Amino acid sequence: MRVIAFLNNKGGVGKTTCSRTMAEYLSKVKKRPTLAIDFDPQCNFSHQYLKMEIDPAAPEGLMPPIHPDYDPQDPDHYDWDGRSSISEIFYGQGVVPYPTYIEKLDLAPGHAEKLLAAESVRKSEVVEKVHKQLANFLASPDVKAAYDTVVIDTAPSKGPLTVSVIKAATHIIIPSVMEEQPVQGIYGMLQLWMQESLSREKNRPLTLVGILPNMFKQTRLHKDILTSLQENTAIGKYMMPVKLSQRIVFAEIDSEDANPHSIFDFQENHVAKQEAMEVCEFISERIFTNE
Amino acid sequence: MSKKKRFGVSEALSRGLSETINVVENNAGIYRNVVLPLSRIELDPDNPRKLAITLADVQQGLNKSDPLYQRKSEEFERLTELAMTIKSSGIINPIVVYKLGEAYRVVAGERRCLASILAGKQEIEARVFNEKPQGFALKLVQWIENTAREDLTLDERINNIRDILRAYQNQHGDISVTPTLLKNIIGLSLPQATYYVAVLNAQPDVQQMIENGKIRSLDKAAIICGIESPELRHQAISACITGCSLKELRKMIAHAKQNSKKHLMVDQAVKRGRAASRVNMGFTLKPRVIQVIVESVVDRAEYKKYADLFMKVDWSHIDQTTRMFKKLIEILEYESEIAYD
Ligand SMILES: Nc1ncnc2c1ncn2[C@@H]1O[C@H](COP(=O)(O)OP(=O)(O)O)[C@@H](O)[C@H]1O
Ligand SMILES: [Mg+2]
Repeated sequence: MRVIAFLNNKGGVGKTTCSRTMAEYLSKVKKRPTLAIDFDPQCNFSHQYLKMEIDPAAPEGLMPPIHPDYDPQDPDHYDWDGRSSISEIFYGQGVVPYPTYIEKLDLAPGHAEKLLAAESVRKSEVVEKVHKQLANFLASPDVKAAYDTVVIDTAPSKGPLTVSVIKAATHIIIPSVMEEQPVQGIYGMLQLWMQESLSREKNRPLTLVGILPNMFKQTRLHKDILTSLQENTAIGKYMMPVKLSQRIVFAEIDSEDANPHSIFDFQENHVAKQEAMEVCEFISERIFTNE
Repeated sequence: MSKKKRFGVSEALSRGLSETINVVENNAGIYRNVVLPLSRIELDPDNPRKLAITLADVQQGLNKSDPLYQRKSEEFERLTELAMTIKSSGIINPIVVYKLGEAYRVVAGERRCLASILAGKQEIEARVFNEKPQGFALKLVQWIENTAREDLTLDERINNIRDILRAYQNQHGDISVTPTLLKNIIGLSLPQATYYVAVLNAQPDVQQMIENGKIRSLDKAAIICGIESPELRHQAISACITGCSLKELRKMIAHAKQNSKKHLMVDQAVKRGRAASRVNMGFTLKPRVIQVIVESVVDRAEYKKYADLFMKVDWSHIDQTTRMFKKLIEILEYESEIAYD
């Protein structure tokens, strides 16, 4: 099972956009059974596929809706409130993924309040548990039997949630806008990659697929920063030869009533779709090399 | 004609990015994570951190008759602070150890060990080397662990590098130390390796200032090492101690050099019988020449803020180019007034 995560501790660089593009490519185009996981308390990724609800316990935050399989009459469900988010892994509860409008794509949505609680733990014993929990969950036989790829969207942070994702991932991708601030975010993520890589067993390395330029504009600024990263011998190897340009459709398909809702439902010759295809094909080839 | 680059990633950031990548590429999978009883842990006698305080001091308390009492009690105080945070939230990064007989020797993290003992802990999270490190690899890991730490002084960093080089030379023979060698064995970027080599060979006056902590930045130390004239070096050291920035330091040195050149020029002019009071800028038939000049200037960090002014110029247009060149000269005169007054 491949576990792909999009990371950058700066916000607004396209983690969620890239996560959904990749998840939709794998499930829709490649027909692989895919699990999308939303590890960001903001729950933007979840919102793409589910009508998330306001959490009465924390009105700023969202929580998943009632699960379609939930039946209050079912005696097996007596200790379930009918909602299930990925954050249940921190509370010893089962995670019940939600189906989405894409046949092969399931979603383990976020839950703002519960994810924030996990993100804010400080005591080292507890932090340690948070760090390991996602990897434990993904190692369970049920999950492995049901999915062959997992795509994780992350919070813009270097905290326990992000570390948990890094420990669970097989492949990471760092989307970044070609500007100073987001490039600093690349550094933060490389540091975590280093910490993790030094103690990973050699037979299951954490592969950095690369740095993906996003929201790219043909401006001097973007072009020069991209070139300076490409020309650096160490970093250059990790600059992906593909990129996503700044295109209004990527933002438009975010909205709930967008039609089509997936970039892959656009016509074959749509430039944004072609670009998304190229990016996903590149990542997919890297990830499934020895299959 | 190749276009001049205008924007880029700062040198420090690109250095950080490449160092991190090099560390991963050369060292992936060297550790195993475990929890160890503190009683099995031994400090490394040649730790680069050079703590005076010992395990026994922490276990039995300090002794007033100890000749190192003063220094140790300062260290003890800082360890107690660390112990408080360890009590409330544990250690943030695991320590690094290797197995030596029944015990585990600390490669990196001895303060964290001592403070954990003070905090009354029984166990500590550690990363154990999967293979017993060789002399050189051992030093290298101490280096890697330490690059992540901001609190290491320049003196400690340089001593680390000396240790690494010594270990390397023990293994590979007496190879001369070049920036490329440093780059290859430690994974530094070439500019940074160049700085370190300069500082490793620092003149005694500079070395002393680094040792007593008066000069703390690698970049500044390297620049100062590059000054041959002892007076100017002395001046630069004083400026550095009073907290002048890297930029100011560069300017000061450039200015000093320029002054010595000015003298020469004036002398020559006098010989010809007439002192020039201004520079003739001449003219050119090729406006593109001006474009190159302008772009080279605004490429310098201190002129970047003017880049926008020249963004939309049509460099094939003679009048426009002339106006922009005048503008550039005004800016240069203005900036050099601020810089050298
Ligand atoms: N290539 C792109 N072109 C145009 N808009 C984009 C692109 N990528 C992302 N966006 C928009 O930018 C905003 C931030 O992107 P998002 O994926 O949510 O970033 P993050 O998850 O890193 O915070 C969103 O509104 C998204 O629709
Ligand atoms: Mg997001």
